[in-house]
Amino acid sequence: MKTSMGMKNQRRMALVLIYALLTVGAAIVLYPFLFMVINSFKPGPEILHNPTSLPSRWTVDGYVKVFDTLNIANLFKNSLIISGSVTVLNVFFSAMVAFALAKIRFPGRNLLFSMVLGTMMIPSILLLIPKYSLLFNWGWVNTYKALILPVAVQPYNIFLIRQFYQRIPDDFLDAAKVDGCNLWGVFWRVILPMSSPVLATVAVLSFMGAWNDLLEALLYLRDESMYTVQLGLLSFQSEIPGKNAEQLWAGTTLVTVPVVLVYFLLQRHFIKAFSGVGLK
Amino acid sequence: MISGRKISSDTWWGYFFSLPFILTFAIFISYPLILSVKLSFLDINILQPEKARFVGIGNYVEALKDPLFWRSIFNVLYNQAIFIALSFVIALFLAVLLKEIRWGGSFFRTVYFLPVITSITVAMIMLEYLANPAGPIQTLLVQFGWIREGVFWTFSEWLPMPVLAVFNSWKWFGIQMIIFLGGLYAINPELYEAAAIDGAGWWRRLFSISLPQLKPQILFVLTVNLINGMQMFTEVFMNFDLYGGPYHAALTPVMYLYALGFDKNEMGYAATIGLLLAVVISILTFVQWKLLNRKGES
Repeated sequence: MKTSMGMKNQRRMALVLIYALLTVGAAIVLYPFLFMVINSFKPGPEILHNPTSLPSRWTVDGYVKVFDTLNIANLFKNSLIISGSVTVLNVFFSAMVAFALAKIRFPGRNLLFSMVLGTMMIPSILLLIPKYSLLFNWGWVNTYKALILPVAVQPYNIFLIRQFYQRIPDDFLDAAKVDGCNLWGVFWRVILPMSSPVLATVAVLSFMGAWNDLLEALLYLRDESMYTVQLGLLSFQSEIPGKNAEQLWAGTTLVTVPVVLVYFLLQRHFIKAFSGVGLK
Repeated sequence: MISGRKISSDTWWGYFFSLPFILTFAIFISYPLILSVKLSFLDINILQPEKARFVGIGNYVEALKDPLFWRSIFNVLYNQAIFIALSFVIALFLAVLLKEIRWGGSFFRTVYFLPVITSITVAMIMLEYLANPAGPIQTLLVQFGWIREGVFWTFSEWLPMPVLAVFNSWKWFGIQMIIFLGGLYAINPELYEAAAIDGAGWWRRLFSISLPQLKPQILFVLTVNLINGMQMFTEVFMNFDLYGGPYHAALTPVMYLYALGFDKNEMGYAATIGLLLAVVISILTFVQWKLLNRKGES
């Protein structure tokens, strides 16, 4: 009896310690976000002189000024068009390719899969300069498509979805085929509805990637009317420290909120999809 | 399944479904790759392509003798050595803790993933204000007496890369943790039960069950980390000038490539730097695989 009581106490102590550590971790993770949001409601000079304190007076001046200096609606429109298209195309096209690689037998399939893996290993930077010179010659500078079409199918997404499809038993497909579906019907009515967890993950990853991209936007979007939110934020980076401080924090808060919302909507799918990731 | 008609119809569908990747591969991957090799033999300004000049292996020779190129390679390696080790330990530690609890797990997972979804641009603005000499981090360090006075780390010769590595560990540990956690949940619980009966303690179970079973996830995380980390750009572009500050302490190969291609208009030389970086990344990935796989066998 005594030992089992001791074990129970020990287990309880361990749990308290675990929760304490996890909470410290959460505090460290959340602090910069708190810092950002609190500073976005401070009067300008206070941001520089008392960066860590609560605002002496809560104000939305920063937000008002952001809307004055930047065409926020337009920045968001551009970012949403680009990130939205990249997301939809990636989910659909990567699922198609993954389906072929996981469930259809055809000559050259293994070669195609090694091409997918090989492409995953190519550093994207290698393509930066030649892709720019290609798209420049095609007149794609200052167009949305320059940021959308080259990344409409990404090997990493194909890889992720293929892993998920391999775990779907072939019986499902055979049953649908017996019912008279062709392969497109199988894909559209059987496979796609089953794959929401992994597709949600691909959607979040694609959206994040496109929404957060700075380098490509910097290269291809020259006209201010085409700027994305990331390029808009760059304009607050100034040689004079703290010059645009209040706009800066209001701007960063505004840019972060939509991504966080999308993430909250889809986050429950994450663990499921990532549990299959690994290289054997 | 073996009837001729069936096979040909499946073949047709197979190519149809693969078409998006085949097209992307042809247009946006293999063609630029070939173009990149071609550019690397030229002295070319994209605005005046008619003046392009063939220079043979001149760009390669120049790159291998270029101290800035080597400094940029050193910088990313220095950064990655710290980042990979630190973020790995944090991610694994928290994944192991999260697996132990039944209540509140999804809350912590959600919170820990927030930095991952934050844009690098926003994160770097946070870093600039959190870590400047008057910011909360340095104020705290001074109060604890760990440093005597605020440090202008962006202008120092050796600090930029470690500071970015520590901050990037904050930013990226979440995704690694989720991957490890997925792997931990997939481990057969009987393994742990058997070990517990044999009297194995917590540490012993971690090192002889969890870690070996997590090998596929660990290999995946380390590979992706290395490939991405070697291509660092936005982090340094946001807080430094195009050449990485007074000592080039924050110059990364990609930023150097960007500066060459778009600041100096030397597209051929920039393409060469890209190719050389790809070679360096391939070699490192290969070495990493060899090392990790050998460890697993013994």
